[in-house]
Formats: sequence, C-alpha cells, structure tokens
Amino acid sequence: MNNVKIKSKNLNVYYGEKQALFDVNLDLNEKEVTALIGPSGCGKSTFIRCINRMNDVIDICKVSGNIEIDGVEINDKNLDVVSLRERVGMVFQKPNPFPKSIYDNISYGPKIHGKGETKSELDEIVENSLKKAALWEEVKDRLDEPGTGLSGGQQQRLCIARAISVNPEVILMDEPCSALDPIATAKIEELIDELKKTYTIVIVTHSMAQAVRVSQKTGFFHLGKLIEVGKTEKIFKNPDNKMTQDYITGRFG
Amino acid sequence: MSNEHTVKSYEEELRYLIDSVIKMGSLTESQLVDSMDAVIKVDKDSIDKIIKSDDEINKFRSKIDTQIMTLLVKRAPMAIDLRETISSLKISQDLERIGDLSKSNAKKVKPLPLDLPEELLGNLKRLGELVIKQLNDVLDSYVNKNYDKAKEVWEKDEQVDDLTYIAMESVIDFLSKDKKNLDFSTHLIFATKNLERAGDHITNIAESICYLIKGEYLKGSRPKGKVIQQ
Repeated sequence: MNNVKIKSKNLNVYYGEKQALFDVNLDLNEKEVTALIGPSGCGKSTFIRCINRMNDVIDICKVSGNIEIDGVEINDKNLDVVSLRERVGMVFQKPNPFPKSIYDNISYGPKIHGKGETKSELDEIVENSLKKAALWEEVKDRLDEPGTGLSGGQQQRLCIARAISVNPEVILMDEPCSALDPIATAKIEELIDELKKTYTIVIVTHSMAQAVRVSQKTGFFHLGKLIEVGKTEKIFKNPDNKMTQDYITGRFG
Repeated sequence: MSNEHTVKSYEEELRYLIDSVIKMGSLTESQLVDSMDAVIKVDKDSIDKIIKSDDEINKFRSKIDTQIMTLLVKRAPMAIDLRETISSLKISQDLERIGDLSKSNAKKVKPLPLDLPEELLGNLKRLGELVIKQLNDVLDSYVNKNYDKAKEVWEKDEQVDDLTYIAMESVIDFLSKDKKNLDFSTHLIFATKNLERAGDHITNIAESICYLIKGEYLKGSRPKGKVIQQ
C-alpha cells in the first residue's frame, strides 16, 4: 500500500446550522485513486471540497477538525490558499472550460502561478498537459479554436489538462463523467488509470461500476458520516457494514 | 437478505434464480435416489425414466445460465447479490455433473445380473445413502443459508472417500473369486467411482455456499479419506 498523502481527522463541516460532515477520519493514499460513493447529499462532495478549501468561498460554511497533506495542516489560516489549489486541482461534474482558446485554457493556470515565463516554455506545458490528458492528438492542429467548441468528453479532458498544467499533486474529481456518453466516460476512466501513476486522485461518483473500475480504495458516506472505507474489491464483493451492502446492492438510495 | 431491493423486479429476478437452483437441486436429488435404487434393486425398467430425467436437469441448467446472463447484464450485481449470482452459476454446474453421474450409473444397471449377492451391494448401498444425505444436507444449507451445515458437509466428504474405498474393495474381492464376474464387476467399480465423484461435486457446492454466505473461501484443504488408486 502507498503512503498516506491526505489525512482527515475528526473533520466536521457545517453549513450554517446544518452539519454536513460528522467526524470524518479518512486516509487517502498517494498515487492511488480513492472513490467516494453514497446517496446525494451524503457529504462526499463536501468532503473533497475541504481538500482544496473550496468551502472557504461559502460564507456560512464552517470547518473544524484537521486535514493534512503530507503531514501539514491545510486549514491553517496562514496557509496560502492559492498555492494549495495549485497543489490540489479539481475537475467538476460539468466540463467548464474558460470561454477562451484551447491554448489559453491550459496556459492560464501556469501564467498566474508564475510558471512558463517564455512562449516556448508555455508551449511545452500546453503540449505536455494535453498529452497527459490524452487530448493532444485530437486538438494539436486547432489550439487557437475555442475550448467550448469541443465535444463534452473533449471539454472534460481539456479541464483535466487545465488541472494538471500547474503540476499538482492531487486531483479532485467531482462526478467527472456524469455528463458524458459511454465512450467519453471510458476515455476519462482510462486517463484516470494513467494519471494515478503521477497524481493522488479522489473521485466522487454515483456509478458503482465506475468506482470498481477506477479506484483502489472506496469510502461510503451516508448522512454526513463515513460509514465504511476499504479496498475497493472488498467493499464491492463483501463489505463489512450492512448499510454499505444495502446501498451498493440497491436496497436503499 | 432482510431488506428488499428498491427495484422490485430486481428482487424478483434474484428470487427466481435462487428458486430455479433449489428446484434443480431437488430434481438432481430425486434422480440420484432413483439411480441408486435402480442399481441396488437391479431395476432395469427404471433406466429410461432416469435417463430422461437428466434432460430435465440439463434444461434447468440452460435456464439458470440465461437467468444469470440477464441478471449480470441488467443489474451488474454487487456484494451479496454478486455472490448469489456467481454461486448459482457454480452450484448449477455441479448439480448438472451430479445428474450426469446418476445417469451414467443408471446405464450401468443394464448389464448387471439380477441375482447379485447382497454382500456385494451392501457397501455400495451404504455409500449411496451417504452421498444422497450429503446432497440433501447441502441443498438444505443452501435454502437456509446455513454456513455451519455447509461446512459440515464439506468436512464429511472424508466419510464418502472411506466408504468408496470399502465398496471398491468388496467389488474387487468378488471379482477376484471368479473371472467370469469381470464384466459386470467393472460396471460396479465405475458406479462406485461415480458416487465418489458426486460426493466431490457436493463438496464444491458446499464451498460455493460458504463463499456466498461469508464472502470468503474455506481455508485449508478438505479432510480426505482413503484414496483409491486409479
């Protein structure tokens, strides 16, 4: 088993009066894919949004407990959130490319983080990021065209390329394939398999089959609590917790 | 399964699959009982009926295969449902093989003389009764999802091995007394061996049931009785 990259300890999240996460203790291993499953509103997206402090942008959101990346607490008020988000990239449910060219979509991040000072350096970052996202061959001759003109699956891979362009350590994916067709989904899943060699990946998914295919570890959330976490194979063949079994076999949801 | 699936038709499809395995098991058991009866009583009139009943068992096997394929495609079962589906596949395969062995034994009745000495058949009869009990017990453990009972059957196969050895010895003894017994004695030896093989399939079923219930394979190797030289 790989080293622990991200560690949450007694993590509680509140949206105003409503508590969204209850004492979540979860270790995420380096260069592995961890899938988070559970019914809508169970807290899995809230959890991953804690990892790059996306919840900071919600005024009524309050976080207590700890999240450590490489042993360093990220909820520290003095921590530079911009550099945290450079280390922890995110891909959302719906592809959301900037209304700019394919090239600009990728080069924007490195530019604001002070990477790629010359045109040739930026060219190299754009090419490498698109190659890592398995999109280069499809777009290399039309980098000046708008990113929004690509197909849904290509747009999502563009967003993945954009996330990896700043060379992060962690990629958070919040239902990245829910808006995609089966072929585009298969391409993203294959890509995730490749990306895990370099990055620590956390994916929220409603597809059990996808969780089985892409992840090594799976956590099941219900009503804000982490009910069970373990090796993906174990969770889907023989979970310990009855609630997990009832959820994955479709006995409630 | 205490809770039911949210999708009612999924629940029904799984229930239907389990029922099919239970019915196939019951048919296989009847066929085994009939074929043992035919051997012991040298009842040549029942041979055709037993051979025909094997067709029914084979039809069940095909039906169960189709049900499993449909379940896998439609539902992509997980956890207990996945284990239930895969166990059905394995158990139906073993039941079909037991059916083949019963049929094979029924066919062996044809060349047997009607006046077989009782001491020759006594051990074979005891072996047959034990194998029938083992099949009955294992099917019972499947219906009631009883792990301990399935494990007991698995362990008890040692007795099947021992009785097979004894039954074989009595046939060989009989054979050695007079070489003209050679022809039908060979059939009895094969019939004995078939029962031992049926016992092995029953232990496979017991293993599948244990995996179905606990999600873990039985650890260690099964206790073995006396081994017959091939």
